[in-house]
Amino acid sequence: MSIWNKMEKMDRRWIYLMVAISVVIPFLYPMSLPISITPEAQAVYDTIEALPDGSTVMLVFDYYPSTIAECEPMAIAALHQFFSKDIKVITLSNIPLGGPSMAETITRMMAKEYNKEYGIDFVNLGYKANYVAVMSGMGQSIEDIFPTDNSGTPLSELPLMTKTKNYADISFLFEIADNATADYWVSIVNAQFGLPMVCGTTAVSAPKYYAFVASGQFKGLLGGMKGAAEYEILVGHKASAVTGMSAQSLVHLLIIFLVILGNLSFFIGRRKSLETA
Amino acid sequence: MRTTLPVAVAFLSGVILVISFFFDDKNWLGLLGQELKIWLTIVGGFTLLLGVVSITRVNWAAVRRKKERWEYKVLTLIAIFAMAIPSVLSPDWSIRFGRNEGSVYDWLFQYLMSPMMATMFATLAFYIASAAYRAFRARSAEATLLLVTATLVMLWRVPMGEWFLNLFPWIDIPYLLNTYIMGGINMAVQRGIIIGAALGAASMSLRIILGIERTYMGKG
Amino acid sequence: MKSTTNQLKHTALYVILFQVFINVDIVFAQETANSVFRSDRINALVFVIIFSASVLLYTKWARQGKSLFLRKIPGLDAVEEAVGRATEMGRPVLFIPGIAELDEIETIAGISILGRVAKITAQYETPLHVPVRYPLVLAAGQEVVEQAYIEMGKKDSYNQDTVQYVAGEQFAFTATVNGYMMRERPATNIYMGAFFAESLLLAETGNAAGSIQIAGTARPEQLPFFIAACDYTLMGEELYAASAYLSHEPVMLGGLKGQDFVKVLIGLCIIIGTLLVSFGYGEFFISLFDAV
Repeated sequence: MSIWNKMEKMDRRWIYLMVAISVVIPFLYPMSLPISITPEAQAVYDTIEALPDGSTVMLVFDYYPSTIAECEPMAIAALHQFFSKDIKVITLSNIPLGGPSMAETITRMMAKEYNKEYGIDFVNLGYKANYVAVMSGMGQSIEDIFPTDNSGTPLSELPLMTKTKNYADISFLFEIADNATADYWVSIVNAQFGLPMVCGTTAVSAPKYYAFVASGQFKGLLGGMKGAAEYEILVGHKASAVTGMSAQSLVHLLIIFLVILGNLSFFIGRRKSLETA
Repeated sequence: MRTTLPVAVAFLSGVILVISFFFDDKNWLGLLGQELKIWLTIVGGFTLLLGVVSITRVNWAAVRRKKERWEYKVLTLIAIFAMAIPSVLSPDWSIRFGRNEGSVYDWLFQYLMSPMMATMFATLAFYIASAAYRAFRARSAEATLLLVTATLVMLWRVPMGEWFLNLFPWIDIPYLLNTYIMGGINMAVQRGIIIGAALGAASMSLRIILGIERTYMGKG
Repeated sequence: MKSTTNQLKHTALYVILFQVFINVDIVFAQETANSVFRSDRINALVFVIIFSASVLLYTKWARQGKSLFLRKIPGLDAVEEAVGRATEMGRPVLFIPGIAELDEIETIAGISILGRVAKITAQYETPLHVPVRYPLVLAAGQEVVEQAYIEMGKKDSYNQDTVQYVAGEQFAFTATVNGYMMRERPATNIYMGAFFAESLLLAETGNAAGSIQIAGTARPEQLPFFIAACDYTLMGEELYAASAYLSHEPVMLGGLKGQDFVKVLIGLCIIIGTLLVSFGYGEFFISLFDAV
């Protein structure tokens, strides 16, 4: 068996080792890399910038803790931009596992930084089962679907919610998702209630959502950690997404190297086998 | 009766929701539709409870009969109730056993659950590399085209790769990739699949509403 | 006699639906001076009527015995062969109906296919293992599999633990299933339904365990992973067609043909719209499709 044949049947654990090394190295030796801004990320930033100060927006934490690396930087950057413009924020989640907790923790952390008060400047509605009914039902009345906030306080006792009855009182929706809920926000809330929206999603889901950007239903799109890094730069708060780009760069290059190596071993190995036969 | 009643419920709920979409919210039909949506969220909440009941029943039976690896089932049961009980109680009923910062629930979520979930998700990087090495072969013209495109997109999505693509100043590769590959070919394909899948889903919904499709109930 | 009763029942349903669509506006319009009908959504209503009518008409024609051509779907033709392989090897078949709730249409499609697959495993007496992520999917899955075993006259071979609730968390579910694949090494893995980030984790592990793998999902973002790691992959609406394809029931095939007819109409609208917009006359045409 030639070296190429052996290479073609390489034990996958060698590949795992190479990936691990590529991820670890940039954390030990950080690299400073220039990050360009895509038009989709710029559009997210510009759309929020164009909102009048004091307007009310909905920030949806539709991601599991598993995708924190990609999605959380987007949420933090969005809250930087919202709170610096004095925009009121209503958060909620369609993910029972961790969604409401992440919304609560991150929003309160950011609110502390900008001296924002719960109930006046931001509210966390929490989670309710059956997202299609939740999204559709809030079009008529948010209070019907969420009689209380995440902590059990009736919405009638929260000043922000007394003046926000349904989507008509909300200027903008920022959906951060690692799953298909974004499809429903666009088809139910954007298409049926006309609420303008942008979406931040994982890299693997981003290609699908280009269709909604082109149709104008998404005003902008943040795709994966690269999208999050671009948005962090735009809002002027470089954080974990920008740092993570070095590791992602190396792993992408490694995969390209592996694809080339895999093809070389496949074609040369096959030729050698034919010659031997 | 065992089939007719669920089919009738599905028919009525489906038809009411479809029709109410075309009427004003303040109209009684709109209000009825809204009522159904509220019911949906309540029924959805009960299904979560059903999950806890189901997993408790299966695991408790295994523990009682001392089945193989029953010790793990005990751990599963403890974990379920440690997370489920604080979830249904008010977050601040107890500093230690509520859901607020510093509680056991918060600690379990922040330092056990989140890292475990993130770790599982992160293993994808290893699997993607291994799958790409094994499956990404230039066996045909189409596969070669796919391979070259994927490589260029991967380069474009990271700063190091973008730096490399910008070494060719006479052609703006990042712009071309974003405009023609992602916003052109990719988008057209995605739209095709999305439209097809949406029609498939709509057709299946119609079959369910009208009771033609009953296989999900074990019938037909 | 039974078919006549069924026919009558369905005719009654069609009539009710028709009556509701047509008359409801008139009835409610009389209720208040201001029309309660959302005329801004008339385009959606027209679409619903065309779509429903085409599906119902094709279903009616299929019921009357009109032959309907259905192209071959290799992934579905391979299902029986793959179960046969498991029987020969004396290993189980693993079926995952996606990881979404039962209110997701993809999950219902997955459960429908599970019914067909369970009939084959019942026939060959091949062990079947169905891990699920939601309690309602568990209930539906158990019902469907039990019914399949009863229909095949193999009630005694049915094991209540065939369909098992594993975990409500995505990656806990994945870890459990991956562990099962590596320990039990099922001969055939069938993934049909809504899958997310776990798609590649499952398919790669199945590949490493040497199983034949057939996948189907309507999630475009997960298709590349299944294509890379599985032997056959059903794409998009092929998943929804699977139940009808495997059943060969004319009533189910009618739905598929009706759907295809609407797809042709949408294709025509796209072509007409593109031409009109290219020549600067598209404004009115586009406005017909405006959503509110």
